[in-house]
Amino acid sequence: MAGFVTVSRSDEVGEGQAAAFAVGDEEVAVARVDGDLYAFSDICTHRACNLSAGGEINGTTIECECHGSVFSMETGAVVNPPATEPIATFQVREVDGEIQVAAGE
Amino acid sequence: MTDRRTLVVVGASLAGATAAATLREEGFDGRLVVIGAEDLAPYERPPLSKGYLRGEESLDDLFVRSPDWWKEHDVEMRSGVRVESLDPAERVLTLDEDERLSFDVALIATGSRNRRVGAPGVELEGVLDLRTVADADRIKEAAASGGPAVLIGMGFIGAEVAASLRALDVDVTVVEPFETPMQRALGMEAGRALADIHADHGVKMRFADSLERFEGNGRVERVVTTLGDELDAAFAVVGVGVQPNAEIWPGELAVDGGIPVGPTLESEVPGVFAAGDVASHEHPMFGRIRVEHFDNAIKMGEAAARNMLGAGAVFDDPHWFWSDQYDVQVQMVGRAPEGAHTIMRGSHADRSFCSFSLDEEGVLRAVTSLAWPRDVRRSIKLVQAGARPDPEALADPEVDIRTLLPKEE
Repeated sequence: MAGFVTVSRSDEVGEGQAAAFAVGDEEVAVARVDGDLYAFSDICTHRACNLSAGGEINGTTIECECHGSVFSMETGAVVNPPATEPIATFQVREVDGEIQVAAGE
Repeated sequence: MTDRRTLVVVGASLAGATAAATLREEGFDGRLVVIGAEDLAPYERPPLSKGYLRGEESLDDLFVRSPDWWKEHDVEMRSGVRVESLDPAERVLTLDEDERLSFDVALIATGSRNRRVGAPGVELEGVLDLRTVADADRIKEAAASGGPAVLIGMGFIGAEVAASLRALDVDVTVVEPFETPMQRALGMEAGRALADIHADHGVKMRFADSLERFEGNGRVERVVTTLGDELDAAFAVVGVGVQPNAEIWPGELAVDGGIPVGPTLESEVPGVFAAGDVASHEHPMFGRIRVEHFDNAIKMGEAAARNMLGAGAVFDDPHWFWSDQYDVQVQMVGRAPEGAHTIMRGSHADRSFCSFSLDEEGVLRAVTSLAWPRDVRRSIKLVQAGARPDPEALADPEVDIRTLLPKEE
């Protein structure tokens, strides 16, 4: 069971934005929508593009900039192909102005 | 309750494999057979001219589903088997070795094959083309022993292979009858911008010229063009388009060589559908159209599967595609009508732009971009909706395209 680790200050992930952080072996994207944070694998399961780099957030989904795969940031499920495999999602919380993610080892 | 029908997908292509996977995901639990001419489990072809060719991706990265997926989902994957004919009255397929397979519902997704050139010397060793993993392996091997390479044709395949070979530091010359790369897809101005990008990366391009013959002693040594140029070649890659694999269709073919299907992808034979490169589709927006792109194969495969199960939905996807060359991406959605009015964001001179094609009634019909992320995909819903966005808003990069979608009633 992975514990929470601090990845950044709260103000580093603005509303409607996504940013990537290394947590152990995982590249984790953290996005903020309507104030709520979502944490998920930053690596598209289709061609391994970084979702946070140019990925477009619409509601609680993110669309990969490379080839248009869309994932739910809540569940990791594929919403639009070409990806067929879901992305991992992680627990995320804000404590004392810091963003913390439970991922990796 | 097990469905007692047998569904057969002819062609383990991206369209066929996607359809088969969708049938299972939609809950079809009867007998499901996929017949593919290649020996490999179904795989994606786009990386063959890009990441796979450059050695950045492996075969495992290419599979549509992991090879185990098919067995786990009780799909009879018949690899390395060809379908010889389809009998619409008996509803029977004849396979290699006269094996007969009855079906209740069938999908033809046999894709396309590369056009061959008739030029002298085409049989020489080192004259290659690209469709399969084995083809890509041959080009990789040739590239590893160095160039120069001569590419015949600068459509999608020629342009992408040129970029990948340059990344491998192979000397590249391309011979292309049109005046720019990808001119049929992009038009002249966007094509010129793309040509400039290739020139910056050291690709030598011979436009408005074509292949006359390959020369060499057993193995290709040079390419002679119609204008008389002699280009040294350690190997050559021919990419001059494809033709649909429609031979099993028992009826008349469409003028584009595809199997004619109606708006729901069903053919004139009830319960026989076609999808992907081989389907000549009656599109509600574009009219009869046959599309040879990746995203279409997936979207049509999914739609065909649902309609094989009775959904009866019209396929109205606006056809989005992309091409990756160096660090730039070309994207396009829709179909520009003749005489379309064009509005630009960015500029050809900057080699970074998005161009919007409006018909005479101001309806957004197509959007093309080069090195301009997001706006083509943001436009997909507008093209699909037949939207008439404000031209000034289209021209203003500060305006989010998504805000131009008409509100639903």
